[in-house]
Amino acid sequence: MKLDKELVMIDLDSESKEEALTLLGNQLFDKGFVKENFVESIIERERTFPTGLPTAPFGVAIPHADSDKVNEPQIAFASLKKPVKFSVMGNSDEKIDVRVIFMLALKDPDDQLEMLQKLIGLFQDQETVTKLANIKSTDTLNELIGDRTHQSLN
Amino acid sequence: MKKLLIMCGTGIATSTVVKGKVEEWLKENNLNNEVKIYQSKISDEINRIDEYDIVLSTTIVPDNIREKVIDGVPLLTGMGIDEMYAKISAQIK
Repeated sequence: MKLDKELVMIDLDSESKEEALTLLGNQLFDKGFVKENFVESIIERERTFPTGLPTAPFGVAIPHADSDKVNEPQIAFASLKKPVKFSVMGNSDEKIDVRVIFMLALKDPDDQLEMLQKLIGLFQDQETVTKLANIKSTDTLNELIGDRTHQSLN
Repeated sequence: MKKLLIMCGTGIATSTVVKGKVEEWLKENNLNNEVKIYQSKISDEINRIDEYDIVLSTTIVPDNIREKVIDGVPLLTGMGIDEMYAKISAQIK
C-alpha cells in the first residue's frame, strides 16, 4: 500500500474535526477521486456514526462515506499539529484526542479487505501510532506503512 | 446454525474488517460450520434485528436493542478482544 503524495497532509493545522475533515476531503475532491458531496457526507456521517478509534497513545480516526460518493478508491492521510476531538466509534458520549486521520474513499471493500485489515492492524501497535503522529514526510510514511502491510491499494 | 450479523454505519468499511477477523476466529475455533455471517448497515437491520442470534456492531445502536448487541470496536483497536470473543462464544453455545 502506498499513499499518493498529494493526499498526504503532514502537521495539518486545524481547530476542529470539521476543519480537518474538510481540508483533507478537499484534497480527494481536487484530484477527482470523490464527488462534490463527499466532504459534506463525511462530516454528516461522522455525527451519526463517529469513527474515532480509542487507540494508544493517541486516537486515530478513519472517516469514510457511502461508496456512491467515490469515483476512485483512495486513502488520504493527515497528521495533526494539535489534536482534535472525535467521538468514539460505537460510543458518541466518549470523546478522544485524535492525532492521525486516515480518510477512506472506498468503492468495493471486499476488494480491499486485506488492505483495510492491515491498515487497521497498524493502529493496534502503540509504537506505530506514535510514528504516524510524528511523521515528517510522505516517503517515511509510505516506508512505515509499506513495511507493515506489503500490499498495494488497488 | 446460528445467524451472526455484523453491522456498521455504511456496511462497507469497518464491518468488512470485522467480518474478516471473525471469519478467521471461527475457523481457528472450528466454529465456521456453526455460524453463518451476514454483513450490513445498521439502517437496514434495525427493524429485523430479532432475526439474528448474535449481533456485532461497530456503531452506536439505539437503547432498545443495546442489550442484544455486542460491541465490535475491540477488533479495530486491539483492546478488549478476548472479552468480546467470550461474549460471542457464549452465544454460539
